[in-house]
Amino acid sequence: MPHIDIRNVVKRFETADGGVHAFGPATFTVERGEFVSLVGPSGCGKSTLLLMIAGLLPPSAGEIDVDGRPVLATRTDVGIMFQDNTLVPWRSVRRNIELQLELRGINPKTCRERIDGLLETVGLTDFANRAPFELSGGMQQRAAFCQAMVHDPDTVLLDEPLGKLDAMTRERIRADLQRLWLKTRTTVLLVTHSIEEAVQLSTKVCIITPRPGRLDSVVDIDLPWPRDLTVKRSAAFAGYVSQISDVFHRYGEI
Amino acid sequence: MRRVNQLGRAAAFPLFFAGLLLAWEVSIGLFHVPAYILPRPSEIALSARADYPLLLRYTFITGTETVLGYAVAIVVALPLGLAIAFSGLLRRTVYPTLVSLEMIPKIAFAPIFISWLGFGLLPKVIIVFLVCFFPIVLNAVAGFVSLSEELTRFTRATGAGTWRAFFKVRLPAALPQVFVGFKYAAMNASVGATIAEFIGSDQGLGFYIQIATGNMRPDLAFAAIFLLALLGLSMFGLVTLAERVLIPWDISQRRIRGKN
Ligand SMILES: Nc1ncnc2c1ncn2[C@@H]1O[C@H](COP(=O)(O)OP(=O)(O)OP(=O)(O)O)[C@@H](O)[C@H]1O
Ligand SMILES: [Mg+2]
Repeated sequence: MPHIDIRNVVKRFETADGGVHAFGPATFTVERGEFVSLVGPSGCGKSTLLLMIAGLLPPSAGEIDVDGRPVLATRTDVGIMFQDNTLVPWRSVRRNIELQLELRGINPKTCRERIDGLLETVGLTDFANRAPFELSGGMQQRAAFCQAMVHDPDTVLLDEPLGKLDAMTRERIRADLQRLWLKTRTTVLLVTHSIEEAVQLSTKVCIITPRPGRLDSVVDIDLPWPRDLTVKRSAAFAGYVSQISDVFHRYGEI
Repeated sequence: MRRVNQLGRAAAFPLFFAGLLLAWEVSIGLFHVPAYILPRPSEIALSARADYPLLLRYTFITGTETVLGYAVAIVVALPLGLAIAFSGLLRRTVYPTLVSLEMIPKIAFAPIFISWLGFGLLPKVIIVFLVCFFPIVLNAVAGFVSLSEELTRFTRATGAGTWRAFFKVRLPAALPQVFVGFKYAAMNASVGATIAEFIGSDQGLGFYIQIATGNMRPDLAFAAIFLLALLGLSMFGLVTLAERVLIPWDISQRRIRGKN
């Protein structure tokens, strides 16, 4: 039985002037421990799909099962990093990370080491006691990443987590993310605009068509781990990138 | 150098204000304005000193009306704002009613209350209450319902119960907007008290201004007006101080933005 089973899922938003077809239909599965990327142009429904998997939005049609049971309410066993960060201005970076725990009724004192470790991983140790508005956009994203991961979630949903980072930091955090995943083998769903990022990090890539977004195809990425510079320079890597680019080319997107 | 700059910045307002008073003082002589039309600031100060026991007593009376009405407004409006924010039924019934009532100038009720309740403290407190109640309740509702979609979802995904979510996220997020209401009400509270006193009373600064004007003593009327300004400023100052203590993150954020 697949971990996440998505069958014929469609989302429409009812609005004053009729309705918007936001996403679907899409059918695919995610196995436990997989790293799945969703790539597609802006507005194709990637965030919407992520919210549906988290149980935060009900699908208009189709079913989403997790471990064989339909998702009927908000799931609390996931870690979500939303597209706009959820840092609150009245708490420091560390206390923002603790907010995730406090809201779950966990005493943050029992997780000090875990928080320190996460801060270390994203290079924010020296900024733990700063307020979010004292951080750059990229630093805020890294803090939000810690906030989404601190409760050791079973499944991680990341909505463009590296979107606001510069190319260099992006490269570094990608490597960190991969190392973290190789160590924990948590199930990850990653939304990204970057085809290379998807190929580098994923076990498979879901290609979503331009608006209204349907699932075009799923590409299994069969490359050795860890996917360091050598792998990224390989012909196989370039092959996957151009295979996915070709799909968007067909849609006139690139 | 920076020290001097900071000092200069802090002194800017008092200096400017003193300059205004000086300009007033000088131009009265320059344009030969008679004192029964517009007195000089120095004359106002001297007259105020001569009549200070009464002025002080009346300041206390008007101050009591203002502070009581303001406090009762907070005590009633804040819970009501919360209830409206969390109850769909109240949002469809009470809320539109309040919005419609908000259109009425509250002062219009003053003569009626005074005819019902006489010249005492109570009708003034009620008028001040009415003036303060609406901005506080409407801003509280706005604050409590306008949590960002992202934060709402984040909180839901943690499975936090209503109360925990409220105290850890919704309440602090609402405070800046709640304080907008507090500050607006603080600025208008003494207006309510003064006009209520104009309409019917035998004590208080509003009453004093009417008597002084009737007696051709604009110097005394201006003295009372200065005291009213002081009263309003202290109310506003106290609320601003409370805001700084309770939500320093909001102030500091604005400060930092302001510098760039
Ligand atoms: N609450 C809503 N009400 C109405 N329409 C919505 C709502 N949320 C999203 N949509 C619409 O659904 C479509 C998909 O939105 P979504 O945010 O999922 O796109 P996305 O793929 O995440 O885009 P981006 O890469 O820019 O973040 C868009 O056309 C959007 O206008
Ligand atoms: Mg999105």
